[in-house]
Amino acid sequence: MLGAAATWTLPIFLEKTFFALDALAADAATQTVTGKDGTILVVLQMAGGNDGLNTVIPYADDAYHVARPRLRLGADQVLKIDNHIALNPKLTGLKSLYDEGHLAIVQGVGYPNPNRSHFRSTEIWQTASDADRTTSEGWLGRYFDNCCSGADPTVGVAIGEETPQAFAAKRPTGVTFSRPEQFRFQPSERGNGQLSAEEMFFRQLNEAGAGNEGGTVESNAGGSIGAIPGNARNDLSTLDFLQRTALDAQLSSDKILAIARKYKSTVPYPPGQLAASLNIIARMIAGGLATRVYYASHGGFDTHAGQINTHQRLMGEFNDAVSAFIADLKQQGNFERVLLITFSEFGRRVQENANGGTDHGAAAPMFVLGGAVKAGLFGKYPSLTDLDHGDLKFNTDFRSVYGTVLERWLKAPSDLVLGRKFPALSII
Amino acid sequence: MLTPLPDAKWNDATAAHLLNRAGFGGTPDEIERTRQKGLIAAVRDLVDVKNAAANVSPPVWAHPRDIRAQRMEIKAAKDRGENFQSKVRQVRMMEGDEIVDLRHWWLDRMLNGPAPLLEKMTLFWHGHFATSIQKVRDAYWMWLQNDTLRRNAFGNFGALVKKISRDPAMMIYLDLQQSRQEHPNENWARELMELFTVGIGNYTEQDIRESARAFTGYRIDMTTQQFRFAPFQQDHGAKTFMGRVGNLNGDDIIDILVSKPACAQFIGRKLWRFFVEDEPSKEIVDAVAERLRAHKFEMRPLLREIFTSAEFYSDRAMGGQIKSPVQFIVQTSKLLDAPPPAPIAAQNAMRQMGQILFAPPNVKGWDGGKEWISTSTLLFRDNFANYLINGSAILPPNAPQQRPGGDVRFRRNAQIAQQIKRDPIDTGKLVPAEIRAKPREVVDLLAKRFFPTRPGDKEIDTFVKYLETRGFDATDTTLRELIHLMMSTPQFQLV
Repeated sequence: MLGAAATWTLPIFLEKTFFALDALAADAATQTVTGKDGTILVVLQMAGGNDGLNTVIPYADDAYHVARPRLRLGADQVLKIDNHIALNPKLTGLKSLYDEGHLAIVQGVGYPNPNRSHFRSTEIWQTASDADRTTSEGWLGRYFDNCCSGADPTVGVAIGEETPQAFAAKRPTGVTFSRPEQFRFQPSERGNGQLSAEEMFFRQLNEAGAGNEGGTVESNAGGSIGAIPGNARNDLSTLDFLQRTALDAQLSSDKILAIARKYKSTVPYPPGQLAASLNIIARMIAGGLATRVYYASHGGFDTHAGQINTHQRLMGEFNDAVSAFIADLKQQGNFERVLLITFSEFGRRVQENANGGTDHGAAAPMFVLGGAVKAGLFGKYPSLTDLDHGDLKFNTDFRSVYGTVLERWLKAPSDLVLGRKFPALSII
Repeated sequence: MLTPLPDAKWNDATAAHLLNRAGFGGTPDEIERTRQKGLIAAVRDLVDVKNAAANVSPPVWAHPRDIRAQRMEIKAAKDRGENFQSKVRQVRMMEGDEIVDLRHWWLDRMLNGPAPLLEKMTLFWHGHFATSIQKVRDAYWMWLQNDTLRRNAFGNFGALVKKISRDPAMMIYLDLQQSRQEHPNENWARELMELFTVGIGNYTEQDIRESARAFTGYRIDMTTQQFRFAPFQQDHGAKTFMGRVGNLNGDDIIDILVSKPACAQFIGRKLWRFFVEDEPSKEIVDAVAERLRAHKFEMRPLLREIFTSAEFYSDRAMGGQIKSPVQFIVQTSKLLDAPPPAPIAAQNAMRQMGQILFAPPNVKGWDGGKEWISTSTLLFRDNFANYLINGSAILPPNAPQQRPGGDVRFRRNAQIAQQIKRDPIDTGKLVPAEIRAKPREVVDLLAKRFFPTRPGDKEIDTFVKYLETRGFDATDTTLRELIHLMMSTPQFQLV
């Protein structure tokens, strides 16, 4: 019944992509990505503007308690780091990591001329541009372009449905999916483990699309995010873009599904979207997917009104999901290979508003955690009285964190990716 | 600069393009009828819909319900120490069912309603004045906003903005109803400028603070669930806004914003991106902005001009847009001559494809264009087309039971399995029996139906070869597989 189609095999160039990449790592800046060894970066976006003041809390500062009569968390509630700074009471897992020496807290992170629009500020963080310049490519996209040419499309994996702008690249790279089980083409008739004729024709229709490229697979569009993906722009024509994405989907789906089926976590994860995303990432790491950067997002941080319950819930979800993820990595023996960083497009205004919430602000802390991290407080907690339009002034540019991660973790030349060198931090 | 389309260019392809973009696509019969009407009449039928088309009967549950009383009842039960959780659950369940129904109600209007452009324009405004049930938490308010958008979709833009500033769903979404004289909330004021009228870079932080004061006093009556104005909450002091000083109120702020050249540019560009092409040139944006001002921000005459313009039918525009998920669902159903997907299946599809009606990801709405497509959404589109074509038989047999949980969830999953039951399409409606044994004729017929522009020879040959591989007299099963293959191509994502 299958006729001629049954004799088809996977085109050679597809196999080459997955199995013979090492030869391509000729260029000095080009990295080989096997997934079995090498370092892995996990980027966790807190979309909506996380309230930094109630995340890393200057509990000993009277100005905090004056500015936050309803939202403040007292010295008896918080998880103290030192005589001045404490973590939100929900962040018990992060406190343990800090005590174990695996959590760096970078304080007062931001950028000059802060923008208070969610979308513009997200774009600035995603592209690592100056506030007065607009750039299309994301910072991770430029890393893929400059350092990972020839890599599998799975070099960047975003969990979700949308591609984060951080992945936007000249030659789009990376894949996006939310559930591995559904990340595959389903033919009309369920097969018995063999490819049906329909599926083989599907592969044919969707593989050469990018038809005029010869035998090299240059990867494609990726990434995803929760609430604010930003724009994943690129230079391809619409049809070329669709064809490349179709090809990447096909190339990566078999592999991802196979890993998802084989690797299950024995560590329990809490319910919730973030935990589910981190669970998928942990399983992909366990299975050795050829990936340098994973991206996950947690939404809902835009707490203009009735903040206290919402923010405590978000902190709890964040803490519980990350704690399960870390426990999982430790059990796998991969904790030393993984670095997780958090960011949000801005912090919130120091003074709480009349609705028991907070409006858009500026500088806020970032967390950097993992087996190789040097624990401690980095940067300086911004003054709560010397403010810029009611907002905290930054003292550490977020690109110092990116640059440090690129240089010391991904071993990539940061000036190629960020346009210039930023002062490194001793977080790694 | 908008120039009328020459008569000679009016043909099947341009008629199909009009139906695709000013609606949700057309079957070959509809395209033929549209072409025969002529361009002017075809556009007139789309734009000059009778008011009755906007006068749609709401879903049965869509009426004010005194939610304050409902909340008080729950609170009273709580205070009495009674078990109030079941009541809360009951209310949540009802709310959840209503929004699923509302999504289906709208999809059905897009697919079967008398005024496709009116629905498309309502969809445009929904993305523009993006508001989400996730914060609003009441399907009645979401319906009310949808009704306001539909009734004003072809009307005056400034008037629509004013109505939206008094729309309860928007007021809740951007915290406007909590704004007080002594503590103006800036959320609405900022988005009004950044996303609804002039765009970023055309106002200052000072403008935001001052205009927030002008919008004080806007309230919602929780008993009637309608807008109410509270004069005592209003800030009557002098405000300085974009160079104007005075006791400005919210409508004054909107009038000032709409009068700015940046507003016509911003709205003109967004309209062109939605209806025509992702990357409009500066010239075309200037031209549309000029026409928008010439028509004093009345949308109906502007739309008429756009849809009769040569620029709308340019080679670059035709077949060059990526279908939105909503377009994908509605147009695919239409082209298959099949009913819309079951409410719960449609909702799941919207989530997986990244466009959930009444739940945009944030106040910016959906970016559209290439943003619709990732490896994840693309594979899902292929698989969802499979469901629309072959029905629920292709779903994993035990899918509803896979989720962990107790009896309640099991029963719910059994219900869902029942709800998403769907029959395979009737291929007899699409392919006449007499050509079934002629692969190339079958492929030509179906390709004309499903693709906005003819795919390349390579694709066509692959489709033909598939039929040949499967045996010459194509069975229903084979035809459905072929249609699924056609829909699982990059080209099918275009419109």
